[in-house]
Amino acid sequence: MKILIEPRDPLTQAQGVEPGYAQTARRWPARPLARRPLGASELSGPQPVARLLHADQGDLAGSGAKRALGQLIRLRVRVVDEDGAPLPGTVLEAWHCNAAGKYIHPNDSHDAPVDPNFYGAARMVTGDGGLAELRTIKPGAYPVPDTGGWWRPPHVHFSVWGRVWLSRLVTQMFFPGEPLNEADAILNAIRDPQARERCIARFVPSAGTELVYDFQLVVRGRKGSPGMP
Amino acid sequence: VKRLVPTAEMTLGPFFPREFAQGLNHLADEIEISGRVTEVDGTALDNVILEIWQADAAGRFDNPQFPGWGRAATDAGGEYRFRTVRPGALPGRAPHINFLVLYSGLMRQLQTVLFFEPSDDPVLRAVEHPGRLVARQVKPGAFRFDIRLRGGDETPFFDD
Repeated sequence: MKILIEPRDPLTQAQGVEPGYAQTARRWPARPLARRPLGASELSGPQPVARLLHADQGDLAGSGAKRALGQLIRLRVRVVDEDGAPLPGTVLEAWHCNAAGKYIHPNDSHDAPVDPNFYGAARMVTGDGGLAELRTIKPGAYPVPDTGGWWRPPHVHFSVWGRVWLSRLVTQMFFPGEPLNEADAILNAIRDPQARERCIARFVPSAGTELVYDFQLVVRGRKGSPGMP
Repeated sequence: VKRLVPTAEMTLGPFFPREFAQGLNHLADEIEISGRVTEVDGTALDNVILEIWQADAAGRFDNPQFPGWGRAATDAGGEYRFRTVRPGALPGRAPHINFLVLYSGLMRQLQTVLFFEPSDDPVLRAVEHPGRLVARQVKPGAFRFDIRLRGGDETPFFDD
């Protein structure tokens, strides 16, 4: 199957150096990115990823005495390509901070408590319909060091693989109704309001024991139609 | 079919879980590729995530015995390391390894390519400083490929 990858749209994708996010000016290349012809190397798929990366249970919340602190949530994440076709069998990595805004990572120096029952990293494989579910707790907000008052809104990091090498997607999911969303330098690096809105999960009223959110990840790539160059 | 817009990429952040990057940088035992990842003033960067995608020694991407994909994280000195095979040539392409860089401060992934020697290759012809994409052989089977994100001898990156 031939997969087409089209250039990124500058309205719906961040463009590099962002005022308000100082590290972008230290790390994003100063020279314009080059364009190259795409061929078998860039448009073949790293399918072995699903063999190499072992999926776990998709549950970071635990239960009983091992229950993590915080509001129980269930994230229903659907992975599709630009045609809207679901991607079953693809790997989805998720990581986020605990309810107090603290990551498990040793480099996180934020003065917030660790939760011994929360380990904020999960790896899933999508099933039928491109769907993966993560039962977890709602992450807290936290201040970004040395930024004079920038707080990250609650968010969940996602990393996912699409049909080909260039379909790789790493992004963040936000929660609806959070006042910190309005001022977040990362979410607002996306110029198009609708594209920003699509980075915010949809709350799904339900009678269960967890608050349910739906989120869709659209990976780059669509099928080439017959006769297309 | 109505085309969906790809989800906006966002930065990996500084706290990519350590265990997500463990045990994935050893694809094979033939060659070693290592290097240092630095930012604008040459400062080394910790916990940068690099992913590679390459053909096998015969230039094939569908070898069930060789995954072709790997991931490494830089250490506090900015150093990363892969062990793999030297890829074969593809039709119209010199032997190369695709690199993807993910990090805090990068709102989207950066793509670059490692070559083993100066070559007549369409990807090398697309950049102003092709020499910066050619790895330096430091001893038999060992190559250095430093990645400078910005400034100085900045690595050429691609927008696809």
